[in-house]
Amino acid sequence: MTNHWIDLKNSDCLLIMGSNAAENHPISMKWVMRAKENGGKIISVDPRFTRTSAVADFYAPLRSGTDIAFLGGMINYIIEKNKYFNDYVVNYTNASYIVGDKFDFNDGLFSGYDPKTRKYDASKWAFKLNDKGVPEADPTLKNPSCVFQLLKKHYSRYPVEKVSEITGTPVADLNKVYEMFSSTGVKDKAGSVLYALGWTHHTFGTQNIRASAIIQLLLGNIGIAGGGINALRGQPNVQGSTDGCLLFHLIPGYLKVPRTSQQSLDSYVKGNTPTTGEPQSANWWQNYPKYTVSLLKSFYGDKCSKENDYGYAWLPKCDDGATYSWFDMCDVMYQGKIKGMFVFSQNPAGSHPNTNKVVKALSNLDWLVHTNIFNNETASFWHGPGLDPKKIKTEVFLLPAACSVEKEGSLSNSGRLAQWRYKAVDAPGDAISDGDMVARLVLKLKELYQKEGGKCPEPILNLQWDYVDEKGRYDSHKVAKGVNGYFLKDVTVKDPSGKDVEFKKGDLVPAFGFLQADGSTSCGNWLYCASYTKAGNMMARRGKEDPTGLGLYSNWAWCWPVNRRIIYNRASCDPAGVPWNPKRALLKWEGDKWVGDVPDGPWPPMSDKKKGKLPFIMKPDGRAFLYGPGLVDGPFPEQYEPVESPLKKNPMSKQMNNPAIKFFKSDMDKIASADPRFPFVCSTNGLAEHWCSGAFTRWQPWLLEAQPELFVEISPQLAKEIGVKNGDRVKVASVRGEVECVAMVTPRIRPFKITGKVVHQVAMPYAFGWLIPKSDRNNSTNLLTPAVGDANTMCPEYKGFMVNVTKV
Amino acid sequence: MSKGFSILVDTSKCTACRGCQIACKQWNGLPATQTKNWGNYQNPQDLSAVTWKLVRMADGTNGHGKVYWNFFSDQCRHCLSPGCMAVSENGEIKQDEKTGAVLFTPKTKDLDYQATLEGCPYNIPRQDPKTKRLFKCTMCFDRITNNEIPACVKSCPTGALVFGERDKIVEIAKNRAAELKKTYPTAAALNADDVRVIYVVKDDPTKYYEFAAGK
Amino acid sequence: MDLTRREFILLSGAAGAGVALSSLGLDLGPLRAYAEELKIDKIKSAKNTTSICPYCSVSCGLIVSTDTKAGKIINIEGDPDHPINEGALCAKGASVFQTTANNPNRLTKVLYRAPFSDKWEEKPWDWAITEIAKRAKATRDADFIEKNSKGQIVNRVETIAHLGSSNIDNEECWTLNAMMRSLGVVYLDHQARV
Repeated sequence: MTNHWIDLKNSDCLLIMGSNAAENHPISMKWVMRAKENGGKIISVDPRFTRTSAVADFYAPLRSGTDIAFLGGMINYIIEKNKYFNDYVVNYTNASYIVGDKFDFNDGLFSGYDPKTRKYDASKWAFKLNDKGVPEADPTLKNPSCVFQLLKKHYSRYPVEKVSEITGTPVADLNKVYEMFSSTGVKDKAGSVLYALGWTHHTFGTQNIRASAIIQLLLGNIGIAGGGINALRGQPNVQGSTDGCLLFHLIPGYLKVPRTSQQSLDSYVKGNTPTTGEPQSANWWQNYPKYTVSLLKSFYGDKCSKENDYGYAWLPKCDDGATYSWFDMCDVMYQGKIKGMFVFSQNPAGSHPNTNKVVKALSNLDWLVHTNIFNNETASFWHGPGLDPKKIKTEVFLLPAACSVEKEGSLSNSGRLAQWRYKAVDAPGDAISDGDMVARLVLKLKELYQKEGGKCPEPILNLQWDYVDEKGRYDSHKVAKGVNGYFLKDVTVKDPSGKDVEFKKGDLVPAFGFLQADGSTSCGNWLYCASYTKAGNMMARRGKEDPTGLGLYSNWAWCWPVNRRIIYNRASCDPAGVPWNPKRALLKWEGDKWVGDVPDGPWPPMSDKKKGKLPFIMKPDGRAFLYGPGLVDGPFPEQYEPVESPLKKNPMSKQMNNPAIKFFKSDMDKIASADPRFPFVCSTNGLAEHWCSGAFTRWQPWLLEAQPELFVEISPQLAKEIGVKNGDRVKVASVRGEVECVAMVTPRIRPFKITGKVVHQVAMPYAFGWLIPKSDRNNSTNLLTPAVGDANTMCPEYKGFMVNVTKV
Repeated sequence: MSKGFSILVDTSKCTACRGCQIACKQWNGLPATQTKNWGNYQNPQDLSAVTWKLVRMADGTNGHGKVYWNFFSDQCRHCLSPGCMAVSENGEIKQDEKTGAVLFTPKTKDLDYQATLEGCPYNIPRQDPKTKRLFKCTMCFDRITNNEIPACVKSCPTGALVFGERDKIVEIAKNRAAELKKTYPTAAALNADDVRVIYVVKDDPTKYYEFAAGK
Repeated sequence: MDLTRREFILLSGAAGAGVALSSLGLDLGPLRAYAEELKIDKIKSAKNTTSICPYCSVSCGLIVSTDTKAGKIINIEGDPDHPINEGALCAKGASVFQTTANNPNRLTKVLYRAPFSDKWEEKPWDWAITEIAKRAKATRDADFIEKNSKGQIVNRVETIAHLGSSNIDNEECWTLNAMMRSLGVVYLDHQARV
């Protein structure tokens, strides 16, 4: 979230799309409904009429996988009807930048595409630079090669009638949504976008979100109270675990994973540190070397120094351009190339696409280590339906974990708020925390490598591991302090105002502005620097002061970066630092300092031509991207069909699917698009009563009682066509697998009229399996889903694949 | 009788998160029952001796083909003149003076269940098939006599459930109904002068639940 | 009102029809253990600990009440001081009580499934940690790639994979990350990508 949960109350219009907030984030509705009480409007756009739609001011249906068409239509509407916030667009976005003459777009493809590699050469999309290396600009936005004009041209292809043909949304409904939301493109109105997996679970997921970013920038809704692009994230610490980068392509703090071509620390930081010729850009990522060296110091402590390149060589290198995501992992596992696997509190045999392939892959392992508080379909895969344990070699270690109230530590919510939670009781029986398990495993590995030696022992032997207390138990406070970072020697450094400050060896670093690239500081994750300081554990704070009345609660817990509750908040003011909307003033420049939320940097606003900085400090040139040349699948979002579609042709262009996605070729990766055997669009969804694959919640009688078994929601019209009544048992099949479940016939689902033809859509939750409640059939919806993912993130396409539904 | 307490159930603010339904079970130590999906999100299907609070969920289309999904967090209304008490001659059912809570004692096992049920306009009392005792919501009598609000009300995120002194709740309910009437002409505070648990609805009560406004 | 205290204890604590659900493998018996004393009184003398809900990432505040004598959690409800949820909880949040030791379905022993076996065996921790470390080391030592064919240093192992977790604390994530990178694991992912 650019903003945070409580801030939803400040919104004049909330577009809830790609999210069913009332179902999956029920307490968010406290603040959505608060906005409504204050006169704000709620819009729900969803293939189904949901719990969120039930309390919305306006509901519009759309066919799964057509969000870019829907949003593209809105971009067109905003520009054509002159609803954009001109001062914001000109000053704070790259609307005025001139794009180089190699950029082109033709019939669904941008320039630079190589069909053999399925990759774009993004250099073709570069800006035209002046001699200082800054993009040339036309602040009148009239130059036909400027971003604004290219944007206008691109989305002129999305008139509302065309959009309606693709999405199935009635034209009147589209116009109503566009009119309601674009009314926030003025100084004193704020519009908020709430999205979730409904946008990410597509082969063009990143571009769904990009499309919303374009809208929010055109309307001036980023950086302001009640605005923003708010990803409602689905797991308790998915924000923190993402910040911590348990991901193949990143290391803690969103630093890029070292690649094979980056053989030295120098080449790594040079390759990743952006430069700019724009004098008014803060270019925050110029600090890359400081964050990298401080991270290496937190890994290897005294064992790394300038002399040994801070141990950079010990970090594993990923091949350039190669991906090692879950999809790749599952595929090589299926090929028998993985021997051992650790799965910490995750249930891939329930939550990952194409379950049949997942189970086959798991049975190719020699050993599997799984930690959890309850047993699940992953740990127990070897005795699942249709499997003979006597034929499965995989050794399984199932380790009993402490639950959330049986351990101490922090977790970060969607609003980047890191909160400390305490231990109430000891875990039952032999259960211990995941932290304890890791601490013990590392100590044992160190012991084995010390005793026996082995391949490349340095990263294991040199890993700094002082995270246990005197009794040998994992100590989350010690880790939290290490993540925050220490001074490793006595130093005098300048604070942001330029004053000298002295620190002693062992002092906690007060904020990431003090981190150094010379080995004098350590920091496990620069984003969390300032979370645990001399003043104590900031994440445990319980201050309730709210002087602005905007619900920032700056003394409650702590949020990254540096406790800034709304990011890019300098954009809430005009270039002179005067709030666009004084009634909801988040920040204000008072001549020599910012007052309000923690500002995005201390510099004056940009009207100060000497010291002033642009508000979008994470972008090299300081301006937000309407035109985004950094993604692999194009600088503007473009409507493509899901990999499995009811249509033979993409109504927008000759290019059927996102051209930059990766396909897996195993015999189990079948795709059936526009195939009469599988005529209905299916989308998966969460349930308020279950958590993800249900691995926790199906073991809880109260929740299982409330949502006991798998079902498929179908429209009365489809039910009639296939002769099914409410409550009947049906079979739902895709080309990859099938499940049996209950048919829920409901007017909340309706058929769509797409390019003149009727298209039926159905929907299924994915919270069920076979282990509990015990079943001799696997009831995992993911037996049906395809293992294809977004071109940028490789998030699976759970929202839009093709099935058949028949009566059992 | 003192003024006692009341609960507002403003269905226009309910998102059916079902926090109230589970919070009731958690606080009162009520076990789960085995259920199956019967073509509806609502589960268990009905109130029982171990389910005293149930979010009823009803969908459909109104005259203009517009879809609705109504949520009705059902529970005992704690009537001012409880119909269930008509058959209670030996103190099986009690009405607490101070709070107004209507309470089923263990002696309800001796009552004629059908007669008790028929006496209730809202179809609330349920019998334990084994012990024959009758059960329903206690208004969290233990909590409200110890300065805590009922568990269900505490769990409600959106202000759909509000607990307070009866006078104030009646006023809030009637004002809310009047406000909703501007947009929804059929809005009403159901039987506000007769019950302590007052439901505010936007639409015809039977579109929420057959007995929403009484038999 | 003349309802006796004893009557009320019965009224509040012993609703239990307790439908047997052996078919589900669940113990759904009524929670009778505290019926002898009113729960509300127990809570007054309980130790209260604040926590954060373990489900979606709204991160609502919880208050966990523990009977210190019995060392058992007796109640979990919303934290009214928490600025996000102000005491409110959804169905899952209201059910966190059933993630604790009060739920007999919790895993309480290390379980091991030997190759080609059809059953779990209970094992002690020391055995499990040693055996897992041995396997990780053996696999790593056998398959570790120090240099690729071009002679570039890569220091990685491609035959060990890791998944998880968005469901553990920040500090746990950090230590897990440090362990996996030290082993040289590159197939590394978690729920953020599903």
